[in-house]
Amino acid sequence: MNERGGYKQDAIRVGLLWLGLVVVLEAVWFATEILPRQYAEEAKIIDDAFNLLTILGIPVFSFVVAMLIYSAFRFRSRNDASEDGPPIKTSKPVVVTWLVVTSALALAILINPGLVGLAELRANPEADLVLEVEGQRWQWVVTYPNGAEVRDELVLPVDTRIRFDVTSVDVLHSFWVPGFRTKIDAVPGLVTSVYVTPTELGTFTDDVNLRLQCAELCGIGHARMVMPVRVVEKAEFESWMAEQLTAEAPAAEGRG
Amino acid sequence: MRPLIRAVVLGLVGYVAGAWLTVAVRGGSPSDDVAVVFGFILGLIGWLMGIGVWNAWAREWFGLPAKPDQATGWKRYFTFNTDHKVIGIQYLVTFIAILLLGGAMALVMRMELARPGQDFLTLDAYNKLMSMHGILMVATAVAGVLGAFGNYLVPLMIGARDMAFPRVNALSFWLIPPVAIGLLSAPLLGSFDTGWTAYPPLSVVNQGGQVLFILAVTTFGLSSILGGLNIVTTVATMRAPGMTWGRLPIFVWGAFCASILSLLVTQFFAASLILILLDRVAGTTFFGAAAGGDPLLYQHMFWFYSHPAVYIMVLPAFGVMLEIITHLARKPLFAYKAVVAGFWGIVGLSTIVWAHHMFTSGMAEQLHAPFMALTEAISIPTGLVFLGALGTLWQGKLQSKTPLWLAFGWLFNFAIGGITGIYLADVATDIHLQDTYFVVAHFHYTIVGGTIFALIAGSYFWFPKITGRMYNERLGKIFAVWLTVGFNLVFIPLFWLGVNGLNRRVADYPEFYAGPNAFASVAAYILGAGFLLYAGNLLWSARRGPAAGPNPWNARTLEWQLPSPPPEHNFPLLPEVVGHPYDYGVPGSVHAAQEAAEGGEE
Repeated sequence: MNERGGYKQDAIRVGLLWLGLVVVLEAVWFATEILPRQYAEEAKIIDDAFNLLTILGIPVFSFVVAMLIYSAFRFRSRNDASEDGPPIKTSKPVVVTWLVVTSALALAILINPGLVGLAELRANPEADLVLEVEGQRWQWVVTYPNGAEVRDELVLPVDTRIRFDVTSVDVLHSFWVPGFRTKIDAVPGLVTSVYVTPTELGTFTDDVNLRLQCAELCGIGHARMVMPVRVVEKAEFESWMAEQLTAEAPAAEGRG
Repeated sequence: MRPLIRAVVLGLVGYVAGAWLTVAVRGGSPSDDVAVVFGFILGLIGWLMGIGVWNAWAREWFGLPAKPDQATGWKRYFTFNTDHKVIGIQYLVTFIAILLLGGAMALVMRMELARPGQDFLTLDAYNKLMSMHGILMVATAVAGVLGAFGNYLVPLMIGARDMAFPRVNALSFWLIPPVAIGLLSAPLLGSFDTGWTAYPPLSVVNQGGQVLFILAVTTFGLSSILGGLNIVTTVATMRAPGMTWGRLPIFVWGAFCASILSLLVTQFFAASLILILLDRVAGTTFFGAAAGGDPLLYQHMFWFYSHPAVYIMVLPAFGVMLEIITHLARKPLFAYKAVVAGFWGIVGLSTIVWAHHMFTSGMAEQLHAPFMALTEAISIPTGLVFLGALGTLWQGKLQSKTPLWLAFGWLFNFAIGGITGIYLADVATDIHLQDTYFVVAHFHYTIVGGTIFALIAGSYFWFPKITGRMYNERLGKIFAVWLTVGFNLVFIPLFWLGVNGLNRRVADYPEFYAGPNAFASVAAYILGAGFLLYAGNLLWSARRGPAAGPNPWNARTLEWQLPSPPPEHNFPLLPEVVGHPYDYGVPGSVHAAQEAAEGGEE
């Protein structure tokens, strides 16, 4: 009976340690800004998923850590005589509880953020603007609706739902703008699509995450297969796009 | 050493003959892909015949008596020896050496990455070094724990005198050196720059070193399949009387389940690589989009092996760690049956989760939700392994020894590895994180934190059994802390880098990422230096350490009831198993009857 009382005391103590860790780690998570700045609606969906997974993951991680810390100090054998611990082989209630809790957690994250996030990302198949993107070793070529081919800067209008139709002429590449969070591979012989709705103005010179970065290993120039991204007002975008057609001979002023 | 010299000479002769014959028949250069293929095949046959396949085995096929090598002492390790303990040690030493080599490569990479800009490696050289590091370390993780401890321990733990197919076992090991030689000589042909994943079309159009990669890795796959076959057969047919499935030591379960996976899926990797080879040398277009091929087909085939492969790596590691935890907590393995069920759940689920590596690949969108669901479901059987580990520690009498310290580090790391895996199983977060440093950090937490920690912890725990001597406990513990802290300092910053927009497999990066990269590089040097302590402790102790006696841990499984090191053929009399291996604290319980007189005082 004494031993049982001891187990209960251990359980309470490790539970308190666990709670403490959860509170501290969750507080740290909410107090710090780990995620980079969002420049698109899609970034918000993906960051919400990231946040939810972290909030749910912290208690799981804390449980393991609490058990390890408590065990290391409380159950350390003081003599080296190799005395045995209590012969607890299993405990049906513990195993069943464990299975129920882990299954419930897996199901919960599958539903939200899993399926919910997926549905949000796919909610709107419409696009106000379609840009064709071609990856080639080692640069990106973007074709705008007016036929302008652009290689040195990807300029996008804010608050516009944009679909990128992506392909490759040689090996695999991957279309990724960290500020937008979205990514899709460029595959030879295949057109893949990704939707982005920019919500913030900005340029690569101000934020490194406004860059179109190749994310699939494609050979020597992979690391530097980068195209700066600039998000501008819609009106500015229209005039910029028009300029690209006329600007083929001398370098245009408006490209800064 | 004669067989080894013979093997090298015959291997070289075979290579030259194969390459020369190809040139004689079709012209061209001996460095053409086709010539390399035939050179490698004949070279491999020459190597194997030279090392002892001819003498110990193939002579019988021609009606001649076999002449197995009679070498003793240290010379055994350089011959076609069929003793499973010799082979286990061959694997252990080989893969620890490859681990240190791959680690040294990582340090060179971290040196380049210590600050932005291109320092001393060209972009191309970085890609190739990164690819070499990747494939060497994947090989170490696949075959290190399973090859070393699987071979050494499985027969001992189940009460058998050797493996079911001793010569196949020796063959599995001697296929490994040509793999290493093939990979490490790839720079002679321009090396390979596709990572260890070898995605086409890049792997079809890059330099000839890719062919050596394909041939070496296919050979490695053959070794894995033969090794898996041997362990499955051994466990199924050679258990001592009374060693029922319900009394199998947990490491044997881990090795058995990993071997089943290895038998089932390894050929998919080999097949996908052979298709690349055919695209290169035979003019096929399996992956050439212009001629109707499909680059994505490769990724499906590749990950059909390579996701289960992480469980081939980690199931034996689970086994190692649960053995250590049980023996050193001196308690029965908590929820043994649930843990075994967890292993089987992992085996089943691991073969149907591969496409979570492909959420951004452009594959059909209707595959996203099912693969997310299946991948997240694998956390449930994996959770049972944690239950077993934590439940065993609970109320235990923890012996403060190096392997148990490493087990704590392992549980910490693997918890991080497991939880960060969820972000990569979730489609939304994976779209951002795929191909970033977050992935690099995550898989190092599972593969280094999970499997390599087990390789290292196991090399301490069974050190007294293998060498008959005890390692230095104080240095062991210092290294355990050094390794765990150092590893976390290197890889925690990489999570931040990935989330904040740094893609993986790059030699150069924007200034913005300089701080955490510099931190990780310095931490990596510290971590790397720690391995001197590891190697020094074990090498010194193997020669000068105090005698360990048969059972320094006072453990119950069969290998500890034999002298250290165990004699050839292990058991003079086969033991009769009468009880569970982990009944610590159960009054009067006995694992094996024969040993009751000697070790049953508890």
